[in-house]
Amino acid sequence: MPEQLIPTSAVLGAWVATGLTLFIYSFLYKDNPLFKLGEHLYVGVSIGYSVVLVWYTVFFRLLWEPLKKGIAEHPAALGTYEPVIPALLGMLILTQFFPKVSWLSRIAFAFIVGFGSGVAIPRTVSSYILKQIEDTVTPLITMGANGLSMGLNLALPQSGINTIILLIGVVSVLFYFFFSVEHTGPGMVTARTGIYFLMIAFGAAFGYTVMSRMSLLIGRFRDLITFAGAEYGYATPVLLLVTVLSLAAWEFATRRKAGGK
Amino acid sequence: MIFLKRQLPLAITFVMGVVFALQYYIPHPVSEEAITKVSDWMKIISGFALVLGIASVFHVHAVKIRRQAPGWGYSGVLFAAIVITMGVGFWSGGESKADGAQTAFGWLYDYTMVPLQGTMFSILAFFIASAAYRAFRARSPEASVLLVSAVVVMMGRVPLGQFLAPWTWDVTQWLLNVLNSAVRRAILIGVSMGSVGLSLKIILGKERSYLGGGKDQ
Amino acid sequence: MKGALKDFARRMIAIDRRIIFLLIAAATLLPLLNPFGLPIKVSPEVKAVYDYMDALPERSVFLLSFDFDPSSKPELEPQAVALLRHAFRKNLRVIAMTHWITGTGLADGVVAQVAAETGKERGKDYVFLGWAPGGYALIISMGQDLYKAFPSDYSKTPTLGMPVLEGVRNLRDVNYMVSLAAGGAGIEMWYVFGKDKYRFEMAGGATGVIAPGLYPFLRSGQINGLIGGLQGAAEYETLIGRKGMAVAGMDAQSATHFVIIVLVVLCNVFYFTLRGDKGKPV
Repeated sequence: MPEQLIPTSAVLGAWVATGLTLFIYSFLYKDNPLFKLGEHLYVGVSIGYSVVLVWYTVFFRLLWEPLKKGIAEHPAALGTYEPVIPALLGMLILTQFFPKVSWLSRIAFAFIVGFGSGVAIPRTVSSYILKQIEDTVTPLITMGANGLSMGLNLALPQSGINTIILLIGVVSVLFYFFFSVEHTGPGMVTARTGIYFLMIAFGAAFGYTVMSRMSLLIGRFRDLITFAGAEYGYATPVLLLVTVLSLAAWEFATRRKAGGK
Repeated sequence: MIFLKRQLPLAITFVMGVVFALQYYIPHPVSEEAITKVSDWMKIISGFALVLGIASVFHVHAVKIRRQAPGWGYSGVLFAAIVITMGVGFWSGGESKADGAQTAFGWLYDYTMVPLQGTMFSILAFFIASAAYRAFRARSPEASVLLVSAVVVMMGRVPLGQFLAPWTWDVTQWLLNVLNSAVRRAILIGVSMGSVGLSLKIILGKERSYLGGGKDQ
Repeated sequence: MKGALKDFARRMIAIDRRIIFLLIAAATLLPLLNPFGLPIKVSPEVKAVYDYMDALPERSVFLLSFDFDPSSKPELEPQAVALLRHAFRKNLRVIAMTHWITGTGLADGVVAQVAAETGKERGKDYVFLGWAPGGYALIISMGQDLYKAFPSDYSKTPTLGMPVLEGVRNLRDVNYMVSLAAGGAGIEMWYVFGKDKYRFEMAGGATGVIAPGLYPFLRSGQINGLIGGLQGAAEYETLIGRKGMAVAGMDAQSATHFVIIVLVVLCNVFYFTLRGDKGKPV
């Protein structure tokens, strides 16, 4: 069965990707010029990519094309020139670069911040506060075929016993963060309960963070393993050797320079 | 002039804030049309704000090169990367693919940006392990609870842990759905109340930091 | 004997961190080269997403928002691939988009790759709208009028009149929505500015870092399901009966977790060994 030929651009890309990956990983030895090179390349390429996308999306797709189309079809209609308003407001933001007229940017920021604050208030109240409180104070006792009952199954998140635990947790954590009242007597018991709930949640968060970071590492190693194959010209082992030798040479040169001083 | 520099922006914030807070409760077509138009405008204005952010990075590194501050060579590399990426991007018409084939812009994205960004964040895996070894100690009852919870979740969320100790799966599910939910809910409610308060202060003109400072604020 | 033990503990606590780095590298690499293939257990929150998708009639509208960039690719790309494979197998109409500018190329690549392997046609079975700025404003704009939010798709084809978007005027016409999120501009934003007003059903796919913070929304029914991290992706791959990158990575995930657990246990053993030592720093 003939081997699937990998395009030259993909092989070249594999070498570039592997090299850059190993440059970044060289930081694990210590901060060095290869890492700094990779770091600055990362920022530069990200910014360049963002500029291109902003240009084509905002200025072309959202501004220029609707204006061009509108002027061609309905040149006399006022609605055609509507995109000019946000364009003008956007340009007011850019006056930040000119100290004498930078105060004009306040008008644009007032517009943005006012709109953002206004839309956020009712939605935040509805989604984050009311809905969350609603789920916290659900009925403990329900009417079923066999009469009144309270779920005692810990495995069911919505059972009565879990609702009680949840309620205790929410109240005690909220109380812990309420620093205007001194945490003494019953308050201290509530606050300490809150602390233990917090520790459990932070432990769970740590466990999940470990899982997340290890997943990222697994993803990168998978690519390095793929690019170690013959079809990619053994990019990974070759570049690993080059990186190690470069680091060794740099370390030697640095120590010699330090020794010479 | 004070009106234009201070009162006008505050008035705009107030009007925009009140109108669009009330808009949520008014399903009238005029109200819906208003929010449709303004949200479309916000997309365009956000694009200009991105330009501001990008220009700031340019400025920082340009100053570094001009002053030949330590490490200015790397700032040169950064500039070169920006210029080359932009050049390739505009040459490719901003497209990653043309007629099914990958463009130079797409190549640059797949083989420089994706590995660089992925590797930068994956390196944290090593540091989290090193930090866990050095600092994750049961110094107090609270720290012990944190430790036990972390170990149970780390075991319960991987197949090997579920295989060796099946109870860790059930305990992890309970921890996440009940105990963790309680804490996150409390934090969410608290933070949301704070953000609603801050939004109200902004609309009423009590909080003016977004105006950028200056004695006429 | 006790002195020797304490000296050993002191040396181990101060061990060069590069040895720990090597241990982690080995724990990641070896299972990837020699997998042991343990079964994947499916959680109720992932099954909820699968069941809802599976119950959708053909040609229902499924919106997938790639709210991440290459830094979260290993966790969220497998989720995206599994969801798209399921959606295309169910002959759903897929609308994909992203809020993260640097994730645009990645999202386009994933959608195109899965569509090609399932024989789906751009414009007829799926559309990738690309990126647009605005965050919450974009969601509101989509909720009011999808064609004003995205006048054209990522390939610059006008969205008005596209067969895949027939009958879709705004977010109210979306049957199911999943946001694959790596941070703030993601699931919560979609709920607060999207589902709260426009009433479409939604679920979340999240990185391990933000997943625990989404359980309150899962409990309250604000999202109907949650796919958390690489484990969540592996569970979804198991449900659709097609193992992919996520299942392949779970052995390495198991190994690295165990290395961390052993390191933490050892750290505490050495700590308690030295704890009686007054005056000497631990």
